[in-house]
Amino acid sequence: MKMAWKEMKKNKARFLILGSIVFLISFLTFIISGLANGLSQDNAALIKDLPDGQFYLNKDADQNYTFSRIDHVIQTELLNEHPDAVAFSMQMGFLHDEAEKQQSVAFVTATDSKWFPKVNKGEVILDRSLEDEGMKIGDHLTNPQFSGHLTVKGFVDQKKFSHAPVAFIHKEDFQEMYRVDEMQLVFLPEADSSQEYTGLESFSNSEFLNTIASYKAEQMSLNMIVWFLVVISGLLFAIFFYMMNVQKLGLYGILKAIGMKTSSLFNMMWTQMVVITAIALTLATALSQIFNRLAPSGMPFHLPLNTTIFLSVIFLLIGFIGATVSGIQIKKVQPLQAIQQGEM
Amino acid sequence: MSIFTLNQVRKTFTHGEVSEEILKGISLSLKEGKVTALVGASGSGKSTLLTIAAGLQPASNGQIQFDGKNLSGMNAEQVRKIRAKEFGFVFQFAHLVPFLTVEEQLMLMLDVSESTLTKQDQKRKVTEMLEFVEMNHRKKAYPASLSGGEKQRVAIARALIHQPKMLFADEPTASLDSKKSKDVMKLIRDLTKDLNLTTLMVTHDEEMLAYVDQIVKMSDGTLVV
Repeated sequence: MKMAWKEMKKNKARFLILGSIVFLISFLTFIISGLANGLSQDNAALIKDLPDGQFYLNKDADQNYTFSRIDHVIQTELLNEHPDAVAFSMQMGFLHDEAEKQQSVAFVTATDSKWFPKVNKGEVILDRSLEDEGMKIGDHLTNPQFSGHLTVKGFVDQKKFSHAPVAFIHKEDFQEMYRVDEMQLVFLPEADSSQEYTGLESFSNSEFLNTIASYKAEQMSLNMIVWFLVVISGLLFAIFFYMMNVQKLGLYGILKAIGMKTSSLFNMMWTQMVVITAIALTLATALSQIFNRLAPSGMPFHLPLNTTIFLSVIFLLIGFIGATVSGIQIKKVQPLQAIQQGEM
Repeated sequence: MSIFTLNQVRKTFTHGEVSEEILKGISLSLKEGKVTALVGASGSGKSTLLTIAAGLQPASNGQIQFDGKNLSGMNAEQVRKIRAKEFGFVFQFAHLVPFLTVEEQLMLMLDVSESTLTKQDQKRKVTEMLEFVEMNHRKKAYPASLSGGEKQRVAIARALIHQPKMLFADEPTASLDSKKSKDVMKLIRDLTKDLNLTTLMVTHDEEMLAYVDQIVKMSDGTLVV
């Protein structure tokens, strides 16, 4: 431990380079992870904010919520059976403000529940991002498929769907716009997949998110980048420690010759790996959290601290594995070879 | 009194289908408080004999007895413990740890030999040893700033700080000039007497033989009487 520290103190530049690379890669991973989370929130905050439970779609809908129509009888039966349940529908559309400026929104209507805001006929509750676009309480908004106008009653935070701000409207207004009587989905909080209903197909929260085509494709690409960076960092550790170990084989041989245990040499390498990674990860975590707070409101960036902690643990594990694999040389080195090699 | 004996030690190296016997049944006794020098032409097997005696590589055959223990019958971990606690090594090059100061090199050796002394006693012992090899004034220096002779003095101090019973030295003066070589040899001789060590060294510098008690000549893997 002391030896590991003394080597790092004496060879600051060498370890600073490794630390900087680990910092940059982990910081980049955190930022991309933040973007992945941000885009995920932007795409489906409306769904992600719901507690764990089961979503029910019509079996004939082919796992596509836009084609789903829940029969009135089944819906009534489910809502009566589960007081916390909610039936709802979502459709993409447009709203025009008083200056005729068009704004893309996701219209959502739902039965009375604690999960979605209650809206009266002729009223609309909007995602707060539209307030930044200039809309305010009391504004009269119109839609080409709607005969009257919708009065802005209020704003809610972080309610997005399919990268569009959500507009909560009354069921009758929704029916007039889209000419449908039935709701598309029923959500039962705290339910599990064992609860089946005739004619309906059930999905957990994550399964339902993956039925949204753009969500799945987007998240797959971003997660692939994140895990690719994690693997690269592992390889980087392996390569860097391999290079350092190759340079130090003579030293290791001499230390073995004078009786030092191989495990002590491994401990030395692990200590260096943990110290470098811990410092680099702490800096990357701090900086990414600062970025999380300062990122422009329009930027889809969301990086919870537990995500960075989870990724940091993965980095530490990967670094440990990378360094250990490269340390196999330490086990192999023969004291005699080092003595015959000459001065280090 | 003999603390270290080699009995019919043989070493054969095999390269593919070709076998070459480097040591052909060496028997030798080393006495406490004496410096024994192995001399001989290059390829005579003296360095191989030294490294086998020091437990750095196994013999193909024969017995090595050290302080009543059969070294040749021990496993790698048991030999490592003997090397750490009972043996001291001085090599042709000092082989100091580049990122440790002179003082730390010796502290490390005490650590490796699992010294039971308190930190304070360890520091006192290090100071005494460095004074003995006249290197205490450079105790905060790193190896890179030391001369060849100074490095070798520190290497000797490191080899003896844990009070080993045996000192193995492989051409300890080969990288030094004539004056420094004599200084180092005097130091090895004096320490062997003062600390009652048993020293086995390899050299091909005849001038250095003036500082040893016993000369063992080797030729073609055998001892020349």
